[in-house]
Parts: sequence; structure tokens; C-alpha cells
Amino acid sequence: MTREHELCLGVECAWPGARRDVPVRAPCAGLGRMRLLLVALLLTLGGWQFAHGAWIQAKAWLAQVLIAQAWQRTLAGEPHARPWPWADTWPVARMSVPSLGIERYVLEGADGAAMAFGPGHLRGTALPGRQGNSVVGGHRDTHLAFLRDLPAGAEIVVETRDGKRLSYAVRYAQVLDRREVWIAKQEGPTRLTLVTCFPFDALRAGGPQRYVVWAYATNELKDRGGERADRRQPSSLASIRRSPASAERQAP
Amino acid sequence: MKNLERKSLRGRIALDLIGYVFLAAALGIVTAVALASVALLFASQAEAAEAPPQGTLLLRPRAAGEPLSAPLLSTAVAFHVSGMVARARVVQTFSNPGAGWYEGVYVFPLPEKAAVDHLRLRVGERTVEGEIEERTAAQRTYAAARAQGKRSALLDQERPNIFTARVANIGPRETIVVELEYQETLRYRDGRFSLRFPMVVGPRYIPHGVVDAARITPVVLRPREDRVPINPVSIRVELDAGMPLAEVSSPYHRVDVKALGETRREITLADGSTPANRDFVLRWAPRAEAAPQLAWFTEKKGDRYSALLMLMPTAAAAAARLPREVIFVLDTSGSMAGTSIRQAREALALALERLAPEDRFNIVEFNSSAHALFPAAREASPTQVARAIAWVRSLEARGGTEMAAALHLALRGGDAGGRVRQVVFLTDGAVGNEEQLFRLIKARLGDSRLFTVGIGSAPNGHFMRKAAGLGRGTFTYIGRIDEVGEKMAALFAKLEAPVLKGITLRWPEAARAEAWPARIPDLYAGEPLVISAALERLDGELRVNGVRGGHVWQARVPLSAGQGSAGMGTLWARAKVASLIDSVREGASPDQVREQVIALAMAHRLVTRYTSFVAVERTPARPAGAQLGLAEIPTNLPAGWEYDKVFGELPQGATDSRFALLTGLLCLLLAAAMLAWRRGSA
Repeated sequence: MTREHELCLGVECAWPGARRDVPVRAPCAGLGRMRLLLVALLLTLGGWQFAHGAWIQAKAWLAQVLIAQAWQRTLAGEPHARPWPWADTWPVARMSVPSLGIERYVLEGADGAAMAFGPGHLRGTALPGRQGNSVVGGHRDTHLAFLRDLPAGAEIVVETRDGKRLSYAVRYAQVLDRREVWIAKQEGPTRLTLVTCFPFDALRAGGPQRYVVWAYATNELKDRGGERADRRQPSSLASIRRSPASAERQAP
Repeated sequence: MKNLERKSLRGRIALDLIGYVFLAAALGIVTAVALASVALLFASQAEAAEAPPQGTLLLRPRAAGEPLSAPLLSTAVAFHVSGMVARARVVQTFSNPGAGWYEGVYVFPLPEKAAVDHLRLRVGERTVEGEIEERTAAQRTYAAARAQGKRSALLDQERPNIFTARVANIGPRETIVVELEYQETLRYRDGRFSLRFPMVVGPRYIPHGVVDAARITPVVLRPREDRVPINPVSIRVELDAGMPLAEVSSPYHRVDVKALGETRREITLADGSTPANRDFVLRWAPRAEAAPQLAWFTEKKGDRYSALLMLMPTAAAAAARLPREVIFVLDTSGSMAGTSIRQAREALALALERLAPEDRFNIVEFNSSAHALFPAAREASPTQVARAIAWVRSLEARGGTEMAAALHLALRGGDAGGRVRQVVFLTDGAVGNEEQLFRLIKARLGDSRLFTVGIGSAPNGHFMRKAAGLGRGTFTYIGRIDEVGEKMAALFAKLEAPVLKGITLRWPEAARAEAWPARIPDLYAGEPLVISAALERLDGELRVNGVRGGHVWQARVPLSAGQGSAGMGTLWARAKVASLIDSVREGASPDQVREQVIALAMAHRLVTRYTSFVAVERTPARPAGAQLGLAEIPTNLPAGWEYDKVFGELPQGATDSRFALLTGLLCLLLAAAMLAWRRGSA
């Protein structure tokens, strides 16, 4: 028996035995072709999936580079500086975490279309760097992956489009259900509410949990020079109670 | 022989092929199972390692306070109904089970025509009467008292049907009671009286440009299986109908009705109390022969009289049916999800079936944007109606409530080309921009008439009434699916019967009467004329004129034949306040109107948009060192609503990139392995 024939037999177990009265070559040749086809199929599928995954990551990274240029135009006074001509979003703030060396451009709109390219500002909430509660959503596996490493007390600096800077300190983080939309409430001290998916290591998107980080405004840095203005009063206990978090917790 | 061989060879190849397909499928399944188990393994590891119970604080707050056990609220309402008028006492009890000092804030609804004229603060045996002050002055008085540690209460009006009660300095394990009273005229329609008491402000959609959004959107408790609804309400109604009663019923709550003679009943909730999550409605009908045609109540104060007139026009003869163009507008926003959209769909399907072939119709549905079924209204042929009904039944409720867009589509000004143009608007009115919508209706109405159908357990009564008023139509409510048939039939009767319009009042000169509302609305079948008046003398007679179906209609009311009744002055003042505020929309100066309203409200002790009640205890209670916490009383989601559809979800912060990378990599590895095997074996 040829080696090829052995090979055929090996596979034939998975299928009714070869009949002896016909040449065995034909199915073997067929099998080879089938396997090649299978390999090709796997290569295509694998290549496609891999490219898809890599594309999401690359897009997320590349977009931030393009948005950086749009941000310069925004600072120069262009109200809706689109990073590329067909974009339906524009940068509204620059957010950085000096201790982690993180810098992100926040885009308008916390929907899938904007969040593919950067953290998205939830419409209807205060713009980052302004008075009120600014809610920013982002992907846990791209722009907001750093939330996992963000300790309490860490400083987050937000630059607004008029060049002003506001500093926030991380207060606490909480795992919540995706329906807990009260976190977008505007009352209470000026703060940044960062939302991403949880758990961080899950493979698939679409889970019900969200990881929410609250950072409260600490002081205002004047102008681009970063000169410190007078320190604000730290938020009092009463103002924490004002926060929607506690309003929800009151419930029996 | 060769032929035979070829045949069997072909057969072999076919069998081979089938076999390989099976093989490929088996391999595919094995790969998929392997991938899935890897994914699951990773995911479950991650969850096991990282998922703390939901709601746990992961990082400690820097300034940790004592655990919160905020004040709780319960409400007791007592109605005294006498003829056409109801007087209600609403007792809100704020109790603080914790060890801290609190300020409680409760946003709650009242009937949109309620004249709130009393506020009392009760602490144990002590009672402090509230004073009416200009709104900002009252807020300052309250803030000062709060800072000084004095127990105090403030009552503001945010909308004609939304109020905010604030109670400061509720001590540890202490109970403070806020008592408010209001008066209102009852609704008398189609031979039945009804009393409506809303209990919860349904979550409102806030489009751009609503400045006081925070004041009308209390925190809503998310329903959970392990949570019972909060804010219990108990209700007692002393009903003195003034005429022999045929029936008394409460469609949405189980009640006990105790008969106290022919004309009197006492009604209480069968369950003792109910969570504040839907409107309470009580209806009663007098016996057919006792149905009132005319009521004239008067009250003397000083040398002036206040009066209330209820006049039911005689039934009209059936008129020839005119061809109509009916535009249905259906709210399919998130707040309609659940029982509301089912009621609305049923109501609309019934309405469509009722159209005559010579009528024209169209349907507009709206949530975050508005869409019309047809580009222009079409003949109501059986096929078009069937198509429309199928379309309506397929509609789901989700998203925002951009009502302005729908009104733009449905109302286009101008005339209806010889047809009667009617717009039937089915909605719960859960929006915060009522004023903007009223202006839009006024500007674009043209010759159309707008009929509002309030859907669900907690419709916005202010919107329903005023939108229909500005739209020269009428309003109705559907609170349960089994009411759809009856309520829609009553609405059709109104849509099809001739309207009594152009109503004018001629008072005797000597009476020097001042009557409200200033512009008398058109009356539909089964609706009475209701007027509040202030007069100097009760001599002579009032003549009422109107036109219906081309015929003149007249009525005379002798002024001296009035029946004495208390509180008519309050109702008159409330009607005047409403007319004054409406006049701003007609172009009156807002500042002037504000001054007039304040003067009127101060004289009659009324809570209005510009005046609030404030009550302050004389001595401070809270020690100087003690902190005051703020507790916003959460509210229930209205019965039958779906939380997720109303509030949406937090942004989804994950992509499938890792999954794609991993599966891609595994496929590539598998392919590589197969190639290597092949090469190794070749």
C-alpha cells in the first residue's frame, strides 16, 4: 500500500469503509482537495476575523492621531472640527491622566459610531470641563482600558475647547447594571463620570454590567499655561448626598 | 461494463462528497465548541476573579459618611365632595428613621386645576400655618430658616400639575407632617361626574430648551423583584352628590363604598393604602331623571359675590354627517412601552374601523423622530384601512418624545378643503416642554381641531387639557385596556355630533360681572359650560347664546336663584390665574401678568407659578454643629411602564475586537496545523 492509501484509510474511519472494487485514488485525491479547501476556508475565516479585530484596535488608535489635529483646529476656534471630512462627530475635550501617561480626545456622542474612534461624551450631560456632571463612555478594550488601573485620588486633567483646564480627582468606582442611568443626573458637584463595560477581561461585547468611575473637580487651572487658580472647597458631605448615587441608595 | 463502472464511480464520488461535507461540518462544530469553551473559560474566570456583587463600592469614597437611611414618605388624602366641587386635604408624613438631620424634597402631582390655598406644618402637637409669599421671597425665607436649624416647609408650583414640597430639619427618628388643601371643580361629562387624583409624576422626556428640567424629574426607583413600591397613599372620599346616585365606581383601585342615604357615600381603598404609582379616579352617575342641567352656586364675601355656573346644553338633533379628514397621531416613545402602547394601538385600530369610506385619513407615529404612514391623507377604503391597522399593530414603543416634530406633520395651518379636519392625538404627555408645544399648536392649528387621548396610568393632565383647549377639541383618558371600547365610542360621538360654538355670555349691567375663562371653549356633545364669576349684585338674568349646526341655541339663568356654597371665590381666582397665564401666549406682557397673578394669589392665598407657601417654626431645632443631609424622595415608576424603555441604557463600552482576534488566531493556527500535518504525512 502506498502511503497515500494509508492516509485514506486513516480518514475512512470517519466514513463508510472504501469498497475494494474501485480504485481508491479517486476519493484520496478528493480528500486532499477537500482538505485544501478546508485549510483555505480556515485561512480566510481566520484572516477575516483577525483583520476585523485588528482593524477595530488600529482604527481606535489611528483615529486619536487624526483627532489630535482636529483638536488643534478646535483650539484655534473652529466649533465642530471634524477629524476627517465624512466624520459625524468632533472632539469636545482632551482628557489626560498624567500619572498613567494617558491622553485621550473625547468625541461628541456616546454612541457606537463615535466610540469607535474615541471616548464619547453623552449628549445632554455637561461638556467635560464645564460645570455639572460630564458623562463620558468608552470601550474597555481600547480608549478606556486604563480605567482598570486608575487608583482613587488619581488626577484627571481636562482641557476644554477654549483652552481652559480643569482638574478632577478620582473619588470612587462602582460596578453597576447598564440600566442605572441616574448616574447621568446633573445635580451636585462638578464631576466627570467615566463609563465602560465590565468585566474588563470578557471576550464579547454586550454584557449587562458597567464599570463607572467618579472623579470630582478639584481646582481650576487657568489658561493653557496651567497657572493654578484658588482652590475650591472640597465637596462637603451634603453635596455627596446630592449625588444621584446616594439618591438611589436611599431606596429600601 | 465500462458504463457500469463509470456509473458506480460517479456514485462513489457523490458519496465521497457527502462524506466530506459531513466531515467539514463535524470539524466546524468541534472548532466552534472548542472556541466557545475557551471563550467561556476566559469569561467565567474573569467574572469569578473580578465581579463583585453589583452596586458595591470598589474604591472607598475619600470622605466616607455615615450610612444613609433617608426619610420616608407616606400620604393620606381626604376628599369632601359637595355637588360640583371637591375639597381635598393632602397629608404628607415625612419620617426619618435614621440618626442624622435631613431636608426632604418631594416632587408630586396634583390635579391641573387644583387651587391650593392652605399649607400647615405639623410637628407633634404643634402646628404652624403657612404664609403665601412671592416665589423667590418664599424660597429665601425657607433657606434662611433651614440654615438656622428651624423646622420649615416650602411648597412651590412647577407646572399647574407638578408641585415640590421641601421640609427642612427633620430630626433623628422624628416625624414631620405637611398638610395642604386644595379645591377644584369636578368634571361632568356624558352624565357622569369624575374625581381624578394623580399620584406620581411620570418620568418626563426633556427636549432641548427646558430650563427647569431638574425640578420636574424626581429620581425614579428602578423596579426590582426584591423591592416593593414606595410612598403609600391612603384615600377617603366623603361624597355628597346633592342628587340621588345611580352608581359609584373606581376603575383603577379596589374601593369599599358605604352608602349613607340616597345622595351620600363614603369611599375608602379596599386595601387600606396603595403605592403612589397611578392616578386614582372615582366616578359617579346621578339617576337619569336627576341628571343636573343647571347649577348656580354663589358665595358672599364682603359686598361681592363669587359664583360658579354649570350649564348642560340640551342634546342636539343628529346632523348630516360631513366628510372628514382625520389625522391620528400616535406616541411611540419609550414611556408608552408596556400597557400604554397596547391601549393606544387598540384605540387607534377601533378608530380606523369607524372611518367611513368617504373620509380621508393618515397616521403619524413619533418617538425620537416622526413618520407619517402616507405622504398625504388617503381615502379610507377597506384596503387602506386594513393596511393601516396592520401597520399600527406592528409599532413598538422606544426612544424619545419629540412631540413638536409630530405636531409639525399633523398640523399644517390653513383650511381642510371643505372637510372637517380632526387630529386625534394619543399620548401620555410625558414631556417637559408643554409651553413650547402649546405655542406650536396655537400657531399651526388653522381650521383643524385637536383631540387629546391621555393614555396609561399617569397621563400628564395639564398637557391633555390645555392642548385640547388650544386645539378647540376635547380630551379623554384611557387608563386600562378594557376601557378602550367605551372611551373611544364616547370620543366618536363627540367627533361626529355638531359642536356648540361661538358661545357668548350677556350679564345684566348692574351685576358688574367678571367671568372666567375669558374665551369660552366650544362644547362637544355631553359637555357642560362651566364658568366662574365675580359679581356685585345677584339680580336679573344671564343670557347664554351659541350656535350649533346652523341653529341658534339660547339659555337663561336667573342670578338670584343661586345655592350658597363655600370656596367659590377661590375657584374664581384660580380660573382667573389660568386665564392670565394663558394671555401671555396671546401676547400679553409677561411682567404685567406676573404682577397681576401675584396680587390675585396673595389676596386669595393661592399657590401659583409666581407664589409659594412657606411655613417656619419659631425656634431652631437642629443643634449648631449637626450637619443637614439632603434627601430627595424617590418616586415609583408609573404602573405598567417599562423602566428600560423609558431611561435607556448606559453606553456600551466594549467591542468584539478581542473575540475577533482570538477566533481569528485560532482559525489561522488550525489551518497551519492542518497544512503541517499534510506536509508531514506527504
